[in-house]
Amino acid sequence: MNTSNLQLNNTDAARHFSFKATVRDAGIGLALIGLIIIFSVSSEHFLAANNITNILTQITINLILAVGMTFVILIAGIDLSVGSVLAFAAVIAGKAITMPGLDPIAVIALAVMAAVLAGLVCGLLNGLISAYWGLPSFIITLGMLNIARGGALHISEAQTIYSFPKLFNDFGSATVLGVPVVFIVALSMVAIAWFILHKTVFGRMIYGIGNNEEAVRLAGHPVFWYKVAAFSICGLTAGVAAIVYMARLGISSPIAGIGFELNAIAAVIIGGTSLMGGRGSVFGTLLGACIIGVLANGLILIGLNDFLRQMITGLVIIIAVVLDYYRDKYTKN
Amino acid sequence: MNFLKKASLTLMASAVLLSGPAFAADKPVVGLIMKSLANEFFRDMLEGTKEHAKKNGTYELRAVGMQNETDFQSQINAVENFITQGVDIIVIAPADSRAMVRPLKKAMAAGVVVINFDVSLDAAAKKEQGVELAFIGPDNRDGARLAGEALAKNLGAGGKVVIIEGNPGADNAHERKKGFEDAIKSGGLVLLDSRTAHWETEEANNVFTNMLTANPDIQGVMAANDSMAIGVVKALESAGLAGKIKVVAFDNIPAVGPMLEDGRLLATVDQFGRDMAANSIELALEVLKGAPQLTGWVKTPLKLVVSDK
Repeated sequence: MNTSNLQLNNTDAARHFSFKATVRDAGIGLALIGLIIIFSVSSEHFLAANNITNILTQITINLILAVGMTFVILIAGIDLSVGSVLAFAAVIAGKAITMPGLDPIAVIALAVMAAVLAGLVCGLLNGLISAYWGLPSFIITLGMLNIARGGALHISEAQTIYSFPKLFNDFGSATVLGVPVVFIVALSMVAIAWFILHKTVFGRMIYGIGNNEEAVRLAGHPVFWYKVAAFSICGLTAGVAAIVYMARLGISSPIAGIGFELNAIAAVIIGGTSLMGGRGSVFGTLLGACIIGVLANGLILIGLNDFLRQMITGLVIIIAVVLDYYRDKYTKN
Repeated sequence: MNFLKKASLTLMASAVLLSGPAFAADKPVVGLIMKSLANEFFRDMLEGTKEHAKKNGTYELRAVGMQNETDFQSQINAVENFITQGVDIIVIAPADSRAMVRPLKKAMAAGVVVINFDVSLDAAAKKEQGVELAFIGPDNRDGARLAGEALAKNLGAGGKVVIIEGNPGADNAHERKKGFEDAIKSGGLVLLDSRTAHWETEEANNVFTNMLTANPDIQGVMAANDSMAIGVVKALESAGLAGKIKVVAFDNIPAVGPMLEDGRLLATVDQFGRDMAANSIELALEVLKGAPQLTGWVKTPLKLVVSDK
């Protein structure tokens, strides 16, 4: 009976999915367009080509982290460790990339692998521990937040690591037709995540776990491993974000990424993904990250002071979530 | 530099005086309480102090650091633990300039020689508790003024500048901003905008990029620490303006070395953090030996480091 329920839920979800998601994303898109109109009227610099390039560069790290965070929130989890894992991965990769006596290509390849692997391992541990013992991911990833931050400080001896190969730093500031290459990397990750979530059984079951974990289990799916995979993906994106951080700034700092987890969560939630799991999309996450980035940029361009800027950012997050509540209510009826 | 050499000579001399055989059996115990060891500055200070303790050999060092910059609860516990352990000297960089006054008063009442360094305890709070305590530390405002003046000299009167501030509410962030403002006033510079980037590189990169978009006529930048200056320099590189818009900063961490070398960073300020705790310990040991109590503000050296380019 549970199995048939699940199938019913699935077809139900599939039928309504595209329509509901479209309305939802359109709503967030309208909010974004509204912000863009406000800022282009109030600042002459906002729509300038190089400012658009700047905004895209500035949202890249948050977008990459938020893509991974989307998987975790869809299964009704949370990952508070991504900012610290970013620093941990960056420090390990920083050690690799500054190893003397190797040619630039070799150390860059080594650093990229090291960062991705470090992120993956942290995510894997988050997933294994919280799924095996059925513990709240909130507290497990809070533990990982401290482990990774402490690890980053320990390995780097709290020193900023610098002097990276020129080729690597150039990658961080390269643009194609005004679009930052690092942003193209982030967009590809959005596309891959979209494909996984909507075109694979694993992706459908990620939604399923968020909606009704027991039903997915009874249908014979390895829920445990799907959960571990979701956290691993999130850790992996933190590793990729670490590489972007290093390439953009030319350093690895053990205090990098403090508070990044909250921005990533905000992007996911503004993008319409439910903290209760089972509902949302990675396309919404992209829009959510854009809203946060446009706000941070635009509020400085119009000359608003730091404290008011912080207040308005907070206000927008609340408004976005309240609007989403009404949109959801409307699309259900 | 000369001053520092002289200072270290006197320190060495006093070290020799102190290392008489009479003290060898019963070394005074020094409890060192720092702020976050996640901060490069305190990390370096800890290393410098350990080195000093080994070389000096007349005292036993017990050092503790905190989880973060504002973790004064752990500092209060550390003070109480040191009192219980019966240390002779407590040397402390307070995480909260008001909250730490009461526990330190308790330590003094227990006969411990207390030295306050790095960040000054609040004058009003000291008065209220009836505590007389000298402060040993750098004049952050004066250091920032030095860096700001180097920028003013380079740009000339009328130069347009922005400030990248440290954490709002942090005492040294506040003092450094004041020092930058002093230099702006005396050098006849024009301040276009002033914003915080919370001491951090990536945030400074984003915030400064946006400030530059809003104010394309910026000629100079004053960053309250080197980590943020790195983010500013990166933003200038992306805009093709590195070396053209002048940047000054504070701390002189190793990572800005290459930037000073090729002129992407005009100047920074060294406050010799490595020696700061060790210098304080030297002074405390003298007080313990019977020298008069320290009073007022014992300023530690600051040095402007300017790029050759």
